Amino acid sequence: MGGVEDDEPASKRMKLSSEALIHLSNGSTVKESIVGSSRDLMARPPQSDGGEEVVGSKGVIKKVEFVRIIAKALYSLGYIRSGAHLEEESGIALHSSIINVFMRQVLEGDWDESVATLHNIGLTDEMIIKSASFLILEQKFFEFLDEEKVMDALKTLRTEISPLCINHGRVRELSLSIVSPSHCFTVRSPKQNTSRARSRTKLLEELQKLLPPTVMIPERRLEHLVEQALGLQRDACMFHNSLDEEISLFADHQCARDQIPSYALQVDANGISLKHKLSGHQKPVSSVSWSPDDHQLLTCGVEEVVRRWDAPSGECLSVYEKAGLGMVSCGWSPDGKWIFSGVNDKSISLWELDGRELECWKGQHTLKISDLEITSDGKQIISICRETAILLLDREAKVERFIEEDQTITSFSLSRDNRFLLVNLLNQEIHLWSIEDDLKLVSKYRGHKRTRFIIRSCFGGLEQAFVASGSEDSLVYIWHRGTGELIEALPGHSGAVNCVSWNPTNPHMLASASDDRTIRIWGLNNLSAKQKDTHGNGIHYCNGGT
Amino acid sequence: MGRLFVITLEGSVYSCNHCHTHLALLDDIISKSFHCRHGKAYLFDKVVNITVGEKEERMMMTGLHTVVDIFCVGCGSIVGWKYESAHEKTQKYKEGKFILERFKVLGPDGSNYLVNHDAMVSGSDADNA
Repeated sequence: MGGVEDDEPASKRMKLSSEALIHLSNGSTVKESIVGSSRDLMARPPQSDGGEEVVGSKGVIKKVEFVRIIAKALYSLGYIRSGAHLEEESGIALHSSIINVFMRQVLEGDWDESVATLHNIGLTDEMIIKSASFLILEQKFFEFLDEEKVMDALKTLRTEISPLCINHGRVRELSLSIVSPSHCFTVRSPKQNTSRARSRTKLLEELQKLLPPTVMIPERRLEHLVEQALGLQRDACMFHNSLDEEISLFADHQCARDQIPSYALQVDANGISLKHKLSGHQKPVSSVSWSPDDHQLLTCGVEEVVRRWDAPSGECLSVYEKAGLGMVSCGWSPDGKWIFSGVNDKSISLWELDGRELECWKGQHTLKISDLEITSDGKQIISICRETAILLLDREAKVERFIEEDQTITSFSLSRDNRFLLVNLLNQEIHLWSIEDDLKLVSKYRGHKRTRFIIRSCFGGLEQAFVASGSEDSLVYIWHRGTGELIEALPGHSGAVNCVSWNPTNPHMLASASDDRTIRIWGLNNLSAKQKDTHGNGIHYCNGGT
Repeated sequence: MGRLFVITLEGSVYSCNHCHTHLALLDDIISKSFHCRHGKAYLFDKVVNITVGEKEERMMMTGLHTVVDIFCVGCGSIVGWKYESAHEKTQKYKEGKFILERFKVLGPDGSNYLVNHDAMVSGSDADNA
């Protein structure tokens, strides 16, 4: 047993091992992630690839690596005998003998021996040897302190740790912890007991991370590979829109189309009645937004004033204006304590609710027609500052970043996690930008029509995996965000669809507003769902209220 | 109607004489020596707030060109055309540029242009480079 013998039919040998594995594992199945089914593994003899054996239909998996990570997984699952048996039967050792020695020494606390072994492993990078030695000696140091052997600890620090000449800051912290024991608690992560040393298993894990993966295989490597594959399957699933879809390892994951809203549930204003008419604006109202607590409304007249209203009573609470200038956009702070507004002299102003101006950014910060948004942490204000550029203004750090496009920008939409921006362009393209660290163009979406109006788009669906947009051809467009593929173009409206809004808590519901004066609510095409609002023959139109 | 997306220009602006939507800047004029049925026309490097019509082959004073008519986004009235391609080499300089009919726009000083009925120009185009 052991030794790869080429004259023995390889397929037969492999067949034996797989069966034997299943045999030993106490009735529970061994989880194997294989490219291609396990049937393939048994049927095809492994090809020699310049001396290295490979498995799988694509010939990219090295057999030795494959067996080692399976053995590692068996050990992690607690199947020690199975793991040992696999190593024995395949002749492939999980770790070289010297590593096994090293691991044993670390777990048993033979510090000096383990440091010596470290040097014998055959690592080429000096820094790794030093960092690993440092970790081991640090453990030795803390274990001495826990046993109240202060002099021994001090000796270790002086004669063994310091001469390594690395991590001087840490060395200082260590010396401080001798002098002031209480200080030590803040220095290290808190332990459940008063022991200052961490567990030796934890130390081994830290060492594992330092050493090259070929020398010491990382923990949970097989699980990580499987999760990666499942993640890729999920990302590639274009219709994935339901939480209760469980992903099985036995078949590639693919949702059916029926999870995307595609059926107009409601078109008329059934069950909705007029509560208040908010009068006061002298010019057309260009935007309306709810306060974070849903009790107030903020409205903006085109180049006029911004008004704050109490929703339950319909009363106007405040008017925000600037002499000789007109407001062009408005928004709430995430905590509802202040509001901000774009002005037609290109500046952006911040106001206290009572009307006092808090701050004003003068200069080219916004345009007459521009969206104005704020990230949910209240830090960044976003607006279109030039025809082809969007400004991301960090209020606190006073830093300005710019998204530059080649085409004129008509509108944009911020994702709920503040990481992405959907930018609508004059040339009928929608661009997805990542705005978290570096500003990067991630995807483009095409298909909808825009020639005259501001057409809005939004994120939506489970984990905001979809992009939806209105269009001048009366259709509602839905793309899969990851792949950029157009999934649906929903007919129904009889005029340009100006904007869409995906229900933030229900991934199966979407609303759209159109020039045909209706708002449509879209849901799943599941006719068995209770429809208490529809009339006998379905849907009828009604002119929207005032 | 939905909310129109219009770009606001700064400087000396030519605008649509029906709805006053900004169309182009004085600085972007390449040539003033063009003609159309209604009289004078200017060649502009850049025009905003317009939509385009279908491509057409038109025989102009300087030869065959592929053009698209351009319309103001505000009111939809036709304001001129855009040269998509020119068939003759000497006319290539017009490609991608726009013609605004002087009759259809308000000048930067707000002035309108009165059609000269006497000088019935026989065709459109001109400015032989």
